[in-house]
Amino acid sequence: MTETKPLIEFKDVTFWYGSTEDQPALKNINLTIHEGDYVALLGLNGAGKTTLQLCINGVIPNSIIGEFQGEVIVDGNDTFETPVREMAKIVGMVFDNPEFQLSQMSVGEEIALGMESLGYSYPDMVKTIDEVLEIVGLTGLIDRSPFGLSGGQQQRLSIASALAMQPKILVMDEPTSNVDPIGKEEIFQVAYQLNRERNMTVIMAEHEVEVMAQYANLVVVMHEGEIVLQGTPEDVFSNVELIQNLGLRMPQVAAFGHDVEKLGLIDLGGQYPVKLDQAVETYGPLFNKKAG
Amino acid sequence: MQGIVIPISMVPGNSIIHRMNPLPKLAWSLGILALAFATRNPAVLGAAFFIGLILVLVAQVGKAYLKVVMILFPISLTLITLQSIAPAFPPPWTPIVGFGPFTIYQEGIYSGISMLLRIFSMTTWAMVTIMTSHPSDIFTSLKRIGMPYSLNFILVMTLQLIPILQSEFGIVLNAQKSRAMKGTGFGAILPSMVPVFVGAIERVQQLSISLESRAFGSTGQKTSYRQVRMTFWDIALLVIGVLVTGSTTYWVIVDRTLDWSDTLVFHPVFAISLVIFATLGFLTFFVLALRQVLKA
Repeated sequence: MTETKPLIEFKDVTFWYGSTEDQPALKNINLTIHEGDYVALLGLNGAGKTTLQLCINGVIPNSIIGEFQGEVIVDGNDTFETPVREMAKIVGMVFDNPEFQLSQMSVGEEIALGMESLGYSYPDMVKTIDEVLEIVGLTGLIDRSPFGLSGGQQQRLSIASALAMQPKILVMDEPTSNVDPIGKEEIFQVAYQLNRERNMTVIMAEHEVEVMAQYANLVVVMHEGEIVLQGTPEDVFSNVELIQNLGLRMPQVAAFGHDVEKLGLIDLGGQYPVKLDQAVETYGPLFNKKAG
Repeated sequence: MQGIVIPISMVPGNSIIHRMNPLPKLAWSLGILALAFATRNPAVLGAAFFIGLILVLVAQVGKAYLKVVMILFPISLTLITLQSIAPAFPPPWTPIVGFGPFTIYQEGIYSGISMLLRIFSMTTWAMVTIMTSHPSDIFTSLKRIGMPYSLNFILVMTLQLIPILQSEFGIVLNAQKSRAMKGTGFGAILPSMVPVFVGAIERVQQLSISLESRAFGSTGQKTSYRQVRMTFWDIALLVIGVLVTGSTTYWVIVDRTLDWSDTLVFHPVFAISLVIFATLGFLTFFVLALRQVLKA
């Protein structure tokens, strides 16, 4: 991981939606995320990804009823003691269904909603709206109704609304699950640019392992409320059997390396390429040798 | 379900009424509302309606206004039919003519016409206000004069949710049709209610988390992105509106001579023609609307 100060720390966090007699939604979570990290949260539905994300801005335990144990520190704030509206200045949230996050009559008003609540002046709001619309590629749509936009545009509007409050952290819960392939690519690009160009910490729950392996520097795999694996994409995806037993998919280039190694055609020492450029570098010489 | 939708929304335009601040328009509309409830005098109500019609023309919203009238007028005609045989006046009533097993009364015709004009004077002014003002401008103006932020938000959300729920209703009905279930008529609407309202609750829960994550509910000073200007002329029209409608309302309350229920005498032919026209008008609309609903 990058050697910067920890921005988010989960310390022994356990959470039950109902009473403590029920199965906990999160079990003994210990996780440290640094400033500028791009975190991929992987896991099947019900693994606890959304619950973990809702802990970051304090919706859990402040707004959602349940039993909470442990501590979540975000940018020096204990989320248990800090109101969600205060956390909104640090953490921007984007949820899976873009339509369910929109409420205003125009794109401009949708983005301004959070700033109005925080008492931004009118000139500041206009300037910020222009900036965030440019970041998410929606310039020129300021007067359009949010409900008249495509799924991808609506999700980018949700991102813009979160960015308007200039958070340090962008938490995205399966942001592409209701979006077409073009919209998906647009959202991944926006998140990637925010991370690389603005050093924003991005925490994204996703099922698209190829994309996550490409962009993330920290992969966290969850299963039944627990973190079962965490590390760089290369480290995490070297645990092929475990990943497959959990019902998750491997990046295709890594799965290829694992299968070829199993056949005895190549020795990668259990470390497989997870990105396309790594795969070309690793497998390229093999094909050249054959061709030669 | 999508068959009957009352088209009440802003009609984009640049008329002098469009350019006005929503507050004087609201003041006039509320003033006319008070006046309409304070009097039964057909001349006063007719005058308010007529001025409203002029404003419809000035605002160039005639087409959208007519769409509303097409729905409202036939429904309002029932007032003539019902009032003519059972007036909302203390008895004794003055009979004009027999109509089958019923008797048409002088007070009934007077009351029916008054009520019809009352509805149309109020709705015409309200339509002009709604059709010439952006909803966000109305809410921003109301916020400025002290309407609570959360109440404003509820109004905006309600306006947004109506078309969304309507479209979700259509999706559920189509899903029912595709599974060989009843997809038309009232029999299909009832089972559709459950998925639509469960979906609405889920939507509201998700939205509330999303809003909280965007600092909604902060206790500090709130600002507004939507800027609505209040010019000298807007203030003047607001004051004039309050004075004119207020003083007229006072006048119609205190001046007993404005009660024309005894002096305005209706000819039996006029009375019976009016009742037949009103009854047929409503029944035609009812049959057409029922066909539309059953077809949807």
